[in-house]
Amino acid sequence: MSDHHPHEEAATSPYAARIRAIEALLLEKGVITEPEVQDGISYMEARSPANGAKLVARAWVDDDFEELLLSDGKAAASALGMDPEHPAEFVVVKNTQRVHNLIVCTLCSCYPRAILGRPPDWYKSFEYRSRAVREPRAVMREFGFEPPEDVEVLVHDSTADVRYMVLPMRPSGTEDLGEEDLAALVSRDCLVGVSVPLAPDRPIPTDARG
Amino acid sequence: MGGSPAGPVERGQHEVEDWERLADAVNGALGGKGLQTTDQHRRAIESLENYRDLSYYERWVAATERLLVEKGILTEDEIDERAAEIERRWS
Amino acid sequence: MVVTYGPGDRVRVVPAEKPGHVRTPSYLKGKSGWVEAVIGLFPNPEELAYGLSGRPEKNLYKVGFKQEDLWDDYEGQAEDVLYADVYEHWLEPGEGGTA
Repeated sequence: MSDHHPHEEAATSPYAARIRAIEALLLEKGVITEPEVQDGISYMEARSPANGAKLVARAWVDDDFEELLLSDGKAAASALGMDPEHPAEFVVVKNTQRVHNLIVCTLCSCYPRAILGRPPDWYKSFEYRSRAVREPRAVMREFGFEPPEDVEVLVHDSTADVRYMVLPMRPSGTEDLGEEDLAALVSRDCLVGVSVPLAPDRPIPTDARG
Repeated sequence: MGGSPAGPVERGQHEVEDWERLADAVNGALGGKGLQTTDQHRRAIESLENYRDLSYYERWVAATERLLVEKGILTEDEIDERAAEIERRWS
Repeated sequence: MVVTYGPGDRVRVVPAEKPGHVRTPSYLKGKSGWVEAVIGLFPNPEELAYGLSGRPEKNLYKVGFKQEDLWDDYEGQAEDVLYADVYEHWLEPGEGGTA
């Protein structure tokens, strides 16, 4: 990924050339190496919201795992084969009938990247960072979600050495779904808390009724 | 930032560009070598005069540049020169 | 003298203005809440930001605030809470609040 990268078109930002220049110079001076840069790229590519969805789905079907996830997020992630190594703590907060959690980083854009990869653009926006702490319900409404009247909204501003993820509630009507199908219901938005997973639109099988 | 009045949250997501991936990777490599830390990088971002005018990754790169120059690892002139060369090659 | 807090303790965020890198958001300064949890000891980010060691490490606390105590115009439930992770040197013992 040095300046031999083929077909680099004129990017939309002058900073594209600057970071390529920085990379080239650092490589030439032996400050960093090509494999280190490649590792950095692979690191992010290997991480995505699918990891979070897996953690949630497992917690939904396994109470012991849920307990682990809520008490030691990194240990839970490792148990599922993820590499959560990071100087910050990884803490998962649970939604219940009584509370709904929302995550933000007003100071920059702290996000559990070691598990989930890059945060969405909206999470990093000035609008989200400004308003999520002050009017969380209005922000969630913009995402099409409104918690019921009697539910407390708990906003977590990741101001220091903790990264947060939400454990949403398992939607009803999913009793017959396996872990993979459950994970498919959990979007990245649900892990930040601007949304909740919905049961798939399907008729309840006769043998599962009442 | 927190609590300031602001407009609706834009929901659009741009495709992450290669240079942005590279920004993350270079930061990671520098961090791995102990040449730069998250806290230093955050401080450098916060110190950018044109913070509000830059996109997320533009701030990211500008801060990395600032730190490298501050630490005497690279000079602004050589970055300018090489960046200009790269842009010439692209156009 | 260093005060160590425990869960349930009332605390107030010190309303200080401090130059440089600070991880205590402005909107919390002078506000009162409670310690929700003791997170642990970490090197001081305000010093790490300038390449210093950040030691001795500082206690980091998860602090809860009632949203209606933070914003005059808060639109939500009375029980809505905001949590932030605040370093010990930004806290002083608190009193009152609406809890």
